Amino acid sequence: MDRRNFLKIFGSGVATAATGNLLNPAKTNASEDNQATEFYGILVDTTRCIGCRRCEKACAEANGLPVPDIDELTNKSVLEKMRRTSDTQYTIINRYDTEKGPIYVPKRCMHCNQPGCAAACLVKAMRKRPSGHVTWDANCIGCRLCMVSCPFDIPKFEYTKAMPRIQKCNLCYDRYKKGGIPACVEVCPTQVLVFGTRRQILEEGKRRIAADPDKYVNHIYGEYEVGGTSHLYLSSVPFEQIGFRKDLGTVPYPEYSTGFLFAVPFIFVLWPIAMLGINRATKKDDESGHGENHENKEHEKGKH
Amino acid sequence: MNRKLIYFLVSIAYLILIAIGLYGVYTVEATLHVKETPVAEPQNKISIAHTEIFGKLERPQVIFDHGKHVEAMKAEGCAACHPVKKDNVISFDFPKKVKGKSKTDAMNAFHDECIECHKKQSSENKKSGPVTCADCHNKKNDKIKIKYPIAEFDFSYHDKHVRKLKEKIGKDDCGQCHHFYSLEEKKLVYKEGTEESCYYCHDLNKKRGPELTAITKVSAEKGLTIKNASHQQCLNCHLKYQKQGDKETGPTECIKCHTGKYKTVEELSKVSRPDRKQKDRIFISVENSKMKGVPFDHKNHEMTSKTCRSCHHETLKACKECHTLTGKPEGNGINLANAYHQVFSEHSCTGCHNKNKQTKECAGCHYAIPVMDVDSLNPKKDTCNTCHSGQKEKYSAAPIPMSSVEKVKKEIEIKVLENEYEPSKFPHLEVIKKLVKISNDNKMATYFHRNAKTLCEGCHHRSNISAEAQQDTPPNCKNCHMVAYDRKNPNKTRLLSAYHRQCVGCHDQMQIKKGSSFNFEEGDRCGACHKKKVGGPAEIITMKNDRVVKQNTTNIINVWHPE
Repeated sequence: MDRRNFLKIFGSGVATAATGNLLNPAKTNASEDNQATEFYGILVDTTRCIGCRRCEKACAEANGLPVPDIDELTNKSVLEKMRRTSDTQYTIINRYDTEKGPIYVPKRCMHCNQPGCAAACLVKAMRKRPSGHVTWDANCIGCRLCMVSCPFDIPKFEYTKAMPRIQKCNLCYDRYKKGGIPACVEVCPTQVLVFGTRRQILEEGKRRIAADPDKYVNHIYGEYEVGGTSHLYLSSVPFEQIGFRKDLGTVPYPEYSTGFLFAVPFIFVLWPIAMLGINRATKKDDESGHGENHENKEHEKGKH
Repeated sequence: MNRKLIYFLVSIAYLILIAIGLYGVYTVEATLHVKETPVAEPQNKISIAHTEIFGKLERPQVIFDHGKHVEAMKAEGCAACHPVKKDNVISFDFPKKVKGKSKTDAMNAFHDECIECHKKQSSENKKSGPVTCADCHNKKNDKIKIKYPIAEFDFSYHDKHVRKLKEKIGKDDCGQCHHFYSLEEKKLVYKEGTEESCYYCHDLNKKRGPELTAITKVSAEKGLTIKNASHQQCLNCHLKYQKQGDKETGPTECIKCHTGKYKTVEELSKVSRPDRKQKDRIFISVENSKMKGVPFDHKNHEMTSKTCRSCHHETLKACKECHTLTGKPEGNGINLANAYHQVFSEHSCTGCHNKNKQTKECAGCHYAIPVMDVDSLNPKKDTCNTCHSGQKEKYSAAPIPMSSVEKVKKEIEIKVLENEYEPSKFPHLEVIKKLVKISNDNKMATYFHRNAKTLCEGCHHRSNISAEAQQDTPPNCKNCHMVAYDRKNPNKTRLLSAYHRQCVGCHDQMQIKKGSSFNFEEGDRCGACHKKKVGGPAEIITMKNDRVVKQNTTNIINVWHPE
């Protein structure tokens, strides 16, 4: 056992003792996670979506959220304005009027390979599971750093509740653990959504683009964006036309801060040593004579 | 002393380490924001901003009002600014002469000619233009972008020129405009029956074959890009007749030719095509070819394209002269089979036919049918035989008789979403009748859809009739598409999805309002097929999160539940 591990265990032991295992709920259900060897994800083919909003309904039913009305009449008025995910809506469909007619785009958590929200979380309430799901746990302290750090504006806070939670799509983690597929994927009438391992759906996305280069733009959104995401999007128009940000770059969000955080102790330790060294090097010999005697003696020894 | 040096070196090393660390951490890529300037109305103005000579401009571009200058210099004529070549041919270039090849020389040439003339005019007490820098290089000009749309000399203009010139000269003389450069004689020559498009020699942007490259090289040396060459050719002739006092001559103003309006193929279908003694019908058969010959109606195809270049992309020669059976360098290594069948080419038979299949009427079925030779590696025998008949006489296409489809099922009930909705009623016969009508109305479709069964394949796709026991009835959707979601093979289309994608996809492609995802009218969208079930699962109204919520207790059936 090295010192790092020792400190870790010691620290968590103290924390567990102090808080009654509140800060570390991960231990309880970590066993299923370890079976997964690959990230799962969803391929979203926006050329197929017809904007029926059945996924919104199924999502609400599966996650115990208020079930939206998806009658045609409501659909018409709802789709007229741009919506964002909210504390009662994990997934929403927006309509974008483009050169190729209206295009419906389902929007939900992208489940980044290296999520900014998980890196920002102070208590590991937001976590990336080995199966690719980015989930939220109840040990959250409500700092809402995850909301700030998300490049896709996904996590939402329940401002109206006494015991507020962070609400966002968890790729139906509970259903996954029981061997199921996400509710939206199951209910989609046009198979816009394909659930599989990231490798599998990436392959399928590439196959579709290759088989119909006229139909799709040659880009899979989420393949490299912010270091890759578990939701992959296909589109027939450039992605900026259907509300995707093209300025995110391919650097995973946590990497922006890990570099900085790595440098902080580095500078704190090295800076005084460097300064001290310069001080020593530039000090005049006779000036050092005014200092402590033993230092002066050492100096003289060095001369011999 | 030694120790001091070590102290010093170590501390410097630390400082360097810190500097590198800081540099690595704090250099983050910056994003660029490029603003586009909108294109302004040309109004006979020209933007002078030769970025190809000057690169990035030091001063704002000059917006030159050509119309104003033409008006002012009416007495002097075009030659006041543009150089005159031999035989009094004006080359519409500016400036007249550039002394050297450097940027400064080009800049000086512009400045000298403009300012000199302006000075001269004002010394003669005539109205004149600016002579100071900012009057021309105005900062406001940076927000203006002027671009002239390409002038299209389509078949109707060609036809008009042929007729009018015959009236004026008294005989057919294509040599007035058409010529080609003889590499042996090193001059322009003309021979009747060899007329070709200007683009072949004057479009310098395109890579050409070896023979044409030699000619385009000469064009490039003389600066005769397609722009310069056509200005020179058209305007000199128009000016000649203008000088003679002919009122019916062509325009000399920029915006009169560069209108930005283009005629469609339909509008051009009444205009006769250039006569170059080409055959109306051709039997395409190549010696030693594996495939049977193809009867080809050249005249018909002339009427369906806007230029000769749309098929004859390099020269007006026959395809097989450059594209041989095994390919040769003149044909860019593309062999004959590919020249005819390349799926995404605009010049090949298959490519152009594929493009036609993307029109509203055809796309309903054809959008889902994979294009030949990308996905369907083994096209059916009948598909090949449609063209490769080996008969010299063209197949006289007959419309599909309506009586041949009367036997099909009149209506089909689809019950996949039975729990929530009444069964959807699909008007099978009505749809087929409509498809037959569309097919019969279209010339190409009539030729290729030889019988009613071809139309069935639009929906009953990817079946292999020759392997089927019941050859008369096409397969049902359920025969291939499963009800459950196959987790092992998630890409497989399940039944619910197959119906929706087939129906909605076709309605979308054919822009049929009912049942299309593009349509937002109530009752026409989902309601076109799905009627809410009377006595279906009750909707419970509950209070949740302080708001009234309709809780629907439906369970979506026919999908696989993990529990």
